Amino acid sequence: MPIELATEVPLVIETLERLFQPSTIARIIVEGLGKAAVYFVLAVGLTLVFGLMGVLNFTHGAMAMLGAYIGGLVMVLSVSDGTDALVRIALFMVVLAVVFALLTGFGSAFEYSLIRPIYDRTPMYQILLTFGVALILEEVTRIVVLSQGIQPEPPWSGAMGTAPAVFTERYDILGAPIRGLYAFEIVLGIVAVVGVWLFLNRTLYGLYIRAGSEDPEMVEALGIDVRQAFTIVFGLGTGLAGIGGVLLMWDPLWGPSALLAIDVLLYAFVVVIIGGLGSFKGTVVAAILVGIADSFTTWLFATGIVTFTGLPELTIFGLLVIMLIIRPQGLYGVEEVGGH
Amino acid sequence: MSFLELEDVQTYYGESHVLQGVTLDVEEQEIVALIGRNGVGKTTTLRSILQLTPPREGTIRYKGEEIGGKDTHEVSNDGIGWVPEERRMFGYLTVEENIRVAVKPDDDFEAQREYVYSLFPALDEFSEKEARNLSGGQQQMLAIARGMVGQNELLLVDEPSEGLAPMIVDQVVDALETASEDTTMVLVEQNFPLAMELADRFYLIDHGTVVESGSTEGVTADDERIRRYLSA
Repeated sequence: MPIELATEVPLVIETLERLFQPSTIARIIVEGLGKAAVYFVLAVGLTLVFGLMGVLNFTHGAMAMLGAYIGGLVMVLSVSDGTDALVRIALFMVVLAVVFALLTGFGSAFEYSLIRPIYDRTPMYQILLTFGVALILEEVTRIVVLSQGIQPEPPWSGAMGTAPAVFTERYDILGAPIRGLYAFEIVLGIVAVVGVWLFLNRTLYGLYIRAGSEDPEMVEALGIDVRQAFTIVFGLGTGLAGIGGVLLMWDPLWGPSALLAIDVLLYAFVVVIIGGLGSFKGTVVAAILVGIADSFTTWLFATGIVTFTGLPELTIFGLLVIMLIIRPQGLYGVEEVGGH
Repeated sequence: MSFLELEDVQTYYGESHVLQGVTLDVEEQEIVALIGRNGVGKTTTLRSILQLTPPREGTIRYKGEEIGGKDTHEVSNDGIGWVPEERRMFGYLTVEENIRVAVKPDDDFEAQREYVYSLFPALDEFSEKEARNLSGGQQQMLAIARGMVGQNELLLVDEPSEGLAPMIVDQVVDALETASEDTTMVLVEQNFPLAMELADRFYLIDHGTVVESGSTEGVTADDERIRRYLSA
């Protein structure tokens, strides 16, 4: 079909005019940073595990799914209609800590019992094992939530409904109506970035992890128990995935569902690959890129400029493809990372 | 009882039988050189001592204690340092962080750092520089320094002069001589004159077994028993 310039050109001009309005820019940036914060938390555990251990952990999305459901369960059981917003937020913070502790322990036990025995085999064994466990976790979750009368998909609205009104309402920022949740996610994302950075750069264990990401055998030869470090880092990576899941619990575009096991994994991999496997800085930058791209394409769709519903996903995976073609090691990755 | 004793050590890479019964001993404060052509098992001997490539048979005793079967980090914490072939710096860590990784958590880092900087003042100058940005000679200094911290009493040094300009090799020799004042050393070195200059005794390895040994005093590459094994 020939492009009708008479109608297309004015549409492009109108889109550009709307795009460069302060309200649009504010909306894209704030929502984009909110999404970036969640993507960072979801991806950073994956990149830590790959950077140190060379293990592509396909259970990562399933762990986020567990985090979302556990968080949802605690919130649904603890919150009633009359529960104050501050109490809800305080409960949410407790849930974050509990889910982090639970899943860190679970991840450590998983690494110790199932992954450790196959380190000496080819990476394909680790991929098959983690993928298989991810499928098991997803299916068991489906069975459990169904037995409790909750549909595993679409997202569990009961859990999403525990969000305080302050997060579901929209606030005017430079004329743009922006959901309160995004500001909360940005704050938590900054805390997560600073926390992980401090751990990696200001603690002795973080130093061992950075050294081990380059050469785990050398680290072992310097007297550090690298296997123990593997267990701890895998646990921490799993705990961070769980926190990411809890963040998704109140997100209107996600929410607790069995679909998180695959969806989260895909987004986390996109961020990790664009940033560079094993790179903390790359994960931060890639999360912002993906978050802003997601926010921009969501705006295009929401304003009716584009009617294709899959545009955000198409754009994000398009970024991934472009990165793999022009810079396969990612923005900050080195060509060979990982210990195995 | 020797400081380090290897007895009939047999090590494999998969099905490849690399060390076919290495027996040697090292006395305290000695420098012992392992010499031989490429691929005869010198590096594998060091890796076997560290349990990086654990032997399938034979015994390795360090200060009278059997260390076979231990994990590498346990062997390291017993006081055995490693200066590996090609240096293997943590390139994205600074000089100081490279040293920090090597200092045992219970040791006084400040004291250890001052100790190595006093031995290698050039490292102090570059302490905040990432190791990948150092020259080959500076990296070798750092590798030796990293092997010396952590209260190590035995240092396994693999090809320290490899790929370095002659002038830099002189600096590395000075560094190794400094290191040897405090530690016992097993040295793998392709540069035969250098190995003879540094070491008190040598073991000549061929096809995974010791074929000659003795004092380095007066030994030259023209020696018939040496030439037979070192010539290609």
